[in-house]
Amino acid sequence: MAVSDGISPPRRIGLTMPRRRLLTHAVIFLVLVGLWEIGSRAGWLDPLFYPRPSNILRSFWLIYVQNGNVWFHLYATLGLVFAGFVAGSILGVGLGALVGFQPLVRRFIKPYVIVLEATPRIAVAPLLIAALGFGAPSKIAIIMLVCFFAPFINTLSGVVNVSEDRLELFNSLGAGKMQVLRKLVLPEALPVIMAGERLALTAALSGALVAEFIQRDQGIGSLILIYTRNLNMASAFACIFTLTIIGFLIFRGMEWIDNRIAFWNTEAGMARVGTKRALAFRGAHG
Amino acid sequence: MTMFKAMMLSTALAVTSIPAAVMAQETVTVIKPTPRSAVFFPLVVGEALGYFEEEGVSVNLLPSDTSIPYVAFVQNGQADLAMLDPNETINAVIAGANINTVYEVMQNAPEGIAVLKGGDYTSMSDLVGTTVGLVSDRDRAFLQAAMDVAGHSIDDVDTVVLGESGPTLAAAIRDGTVSAISGSVFDWAALVANGIEIDTVTPDELLASPANTLAINAEMIDDKRATMEGFFRAWSKGMYVGKVNPDAVEQMLRKAVPEEWEVEAAGMGLFQGVLPMNISTTERLGDLQSDVWTGIQPRMVSSGAIENEVDVSTFLNDTYIDAANEFDRDEVEAEAKAWMDDNM
Repeated sequence: MAVSDGISPPRRIGLTMPRRRLLTHAVIFLVLVGLWEIGSRAGWLDPLFYPRPSNILRSFWLIYVQNGNVWFHLYATLGLVFAGFVAGSILGVGLGALVGFQPLVRRFIKPYVIVLEATPRIAVAPLLIAALGFGAPSKIAIIMLVCFFAPFINTLSGVVNVSEDRLELFNSLGAGKMQVLRKLVLPEALPVIMAGERLALTAALSGALVAEFIQRDQGIGSLILIYTRNLNMASAFACIFTLTIIGFLIFRGMEWIDNRIAFWNTEAGMARVGTKRALAFRGAHG
Repeated sequence: MTMFKAMMLSTALAVTSIPAAVMAQETVTVIKPTPRSAVFFPLVVGEALGYFEEEGVSVNLLPSDTSIPYVAFVQNGQADLAMLDPNETINAVIAGANINTVYEVMQNAPEGIAVLKGGDYTSMSDLVGTTVGLVSDRDRAFLQAAMDVAGHSIDDVDTVVLGESGPTLAAAIRDGTVSAISGSVFDWAALVANGIEIDTVTPDELLASPANTLAINAEMIDDKRATMEGFFRAWSKGMYVGKVNPDAVEQMLRKAVPEEWEVEAAGMGLFQGVLPMNISTTERLGDLQSDVWTGIQPRMVSSGAIENEVDVSTFLNDTYIDAANEFDRDEVEAEAKAWMDDNM
């Protein structure tokens, strides 16, 4: 028999809050998948567009284990995503910082960047291929173009929106340019820049798909095209869900990195680093 | 001591240069609509049996769906060969592109006009006043020619580009959104495998037409002669295996492009559709049929697919065809059989 002390809140079926939340999500997910399966089997859903979840599960087995043909394409896509993201980020953050620090450059460069952002990437993609040729360089250029804008705008606003009062304080205390950059601008701008990076990395996946839909030599995008052309929708969905999972993991991964780098942006981060530093201090001083 | 050093050096050079010579490969870059696929099986077979490697050729495919014409990539040097249909070739020649068609991958048109089996539409004339779906914009010229042969004009139908996506094509024809689809045998295979029965109403006159021919920049013909001859010989060998040992081709495709075989019926339907398409009907494999190219042009002009007729001798060039056919048929047959024995 369970005995309550009358003070502690009862723990439902012995689960902590995060586990209970996870269980709720899992139940909702399974119910939705179950309804989809029932709908498919009952003929309520058009099998041309919505394959049965059980068939999708079988396709996961086929493409990852039995045939193993997805791995090559997955590596190709991820390689492109990271190369394009790194290139786009370097360009976006670099140019954003330059434009942010130099009002004159800002006046001339910013309109071009905004025009570039307004131009649909899918329309520019064939031109990039014609200019740079087929293969990885033009694909990376397409992804770079997709990834560039968020880091650029966020870096620019991060740099430009540094607190005027604090800047004045730094100047009145005679801080040098590097000190202002390191101690004031970077700490204030970094959380905003990291938010831009998060958006850029998830956008990179879409950019890779656009590139692979046009250049169909390799990558998950080209595999999806093959499957949809052959009406093998279960495998097409397996590829699409693969991208969804990767996109989710990328987003969470970037959140984790964001919390580590710009730790002062959240209370939990501050507490974590504060505790770590306190322990290190105690260790160093006996 | 000096003698010893010289011997060591020459031995080292010999040892290191042998693999280098063996490995030396010239890359042939081909722009075409699909990646490695059953649709163009001679390439897959040629690679499976090592024919391209034997010729010192590695094949780099540029499968793409770009709004920029393929011929532009041959002209700017990004591709060595472009896979073109006759109307694309002739239009490029009319536009002044210095290209030569050097090999016919398919000698019968895989294109067709498909309607739902048992439906309201049983002939090209039935399509007048309806909406016809196009798999891609490239299929408009074929529909144009088909309507012309039936005594109508492309203006007598509305057209809509559906794209290559199977579900869109299937739903459009099944639900009657379009009366017919102008596409190719590659598109029908998946529909049939998914229980959507179709008939073709393609005029017979249009079936005798080269398709997916390979064109090269005319200025490069001699510069790349050895490499191109090797490439086409390997392709012809792959084609020949399809003629004498289709079972081996099927197994090679199952291994090389498993994604096309996950749904058995779709894979088999596609394979059976493309097998005859990829085997030349001329005596020399891949040969250029000047009379057919001349014969199809008046119809293309009257349908508006091309502006005017062009003398075929200005762009058909069979300079590689003899070399492409210089191989021992019995040896290739034996190699295909040996592959089956080793792999099955």
